[in-house]
Amino acid sequence: MAKQQTEVRELQEGSYVMIDDTPCKINSYSTAKPGKHGSAKARVEAEGVFDGRKRSLSQPVDAKIWVPIIERKQGQVVSVDGADMQVMDLETYETITMRVPEDKDVSPDENIEYLEMEDQRKIV
Amino acid sequence: MFPGATDEREGTDAGGHDPDRGGETDARGRTADRGGANFVVVGAPLDATTTFQPGTRFGPARIRSFAEPFDDYDHRTDQHFSELGVLDQGDVRAWPDVEAYLEYLASTLREAVWNDAVPLTLGGEHTVSLAGVRAVEPEVFVCLDAHLDLYDAYDGEELSHAAVTRRILEDVDSVEEAIVLGARTGSEAEWERAADDDVTVVPPEAVSEWTPGDRLADREVYLSVDIDAADPGYAPGTGTKEPFGLEPRELRDVVRAVAPQASGFDVVEVNDRDDGQAAALAGKLLREFVFSNADE
Repeated sequence: MAKQQTEVRELQEGSYVMIDDTPCKINSYSTAKPGKHGSAKARVEAEGVFDGRKRSLSQPVDAKIWVPIIERKQGQVVSVDGADMQVMDLETYETITMRVPEDKDVSPDENIEYLEMEDQRKIV
Repeated sequence: MFPGATDEREGTDAGGHDPDRGGETDARGRTADRGGANFVVVGAPLDATTTFQPGTRFGPARIRSFAEPFDDYDHRTDQHFSELGVLDQGDVRAWPDVEAYLEYLASTLREAVWNDAVPLTLGGEHTVSLAGVRAVEPEVFVCLDAHLDLYDAYDGEELSHAAVTRRILEDVDSVEEAIVLGARTGSEAEWERAADDDVTVVPPEAVSEWTPGDRLADREVYLSVDIDAADPGYAPGTGTKEPFGLEPRELRDVVRAVAPQASGFDVVEVNDRDDGQAAALAGKLLREFVFSNADE
């Protein structure tokens, strides 16, 4: 899985983080002051990018953590067939099949933006 | 650790990320093993805005300590406390930046809510209720309290324990109304605020007759117990004592009546300035909440 390591202190709202081996987008980041000799802790509330499930973690701010590398891509809808659609990547011209999101209406020739991580994709 | 609870620090997963992990599942789909908690205890020893006698920083430890002698078995509901899936996550250590602290605490409590557990907060000053309410997002805030806590700000501080009910009403979008039971004092401006439609004040002498009826039915409810609702003769270990208060049994009956419909609970304002009376009462009320909520 495409990911890189960083420290918890580098995370911020709106960025991504791996929680339970799942790429998540951070909704909230808060820190606790250290005790007299303790290290500061951070709490992260996040939502799975692809499954929408809420997750959280609590770690010292200097702990190492994985951040997924998620690409933001442009595509054009080529055709829609029921619950599936063919989308052409506007950079590589590769055509891929994606699920039509339940809450979105798409039609051929429409340009879309989507997140991609390995074989997982989500329209934004 | 709260007696009868399991202790996250022994290696359990408080978040209960996988609630199906082993253990017996009861009729409500809750599991009673250490992996999927039904109730999560969090200590919140905030002692930043107490206005008279401080000491709420010792509240969570006192409550846990004076709950030690209570029997595990509850005859009324025929349940064992230790079998109800209560997990103690320990304390979220407090620091003076109240706003940042409440944000961090709310995040901790929200995790319990996400995992279908009921957060049980041990105060700490009453301000910590704001974090509990933010996490639960109830429609109704039910509160046992000697004071209205409806100051717009106290000593210039909006995040004061004297302003917590006002903050909950005004800052938490989901909250539609507050019901304050046992209130017997407030400033003139607070009583004016209390006259608005979104506040119901039940004076101490009317609490024994009060029942929620169907007023709370199908609504998300948060229950907060400020231990100073009790007469100071019963709970002297609190910072702002107010005479002519409630009998412990009156507090108990309110907790029993509201608990089955509540998704969050706290007991606050216990300090260390007595021989454990306030802490014992607080610990007993927490247990009454758990027994009644689990018995619904």
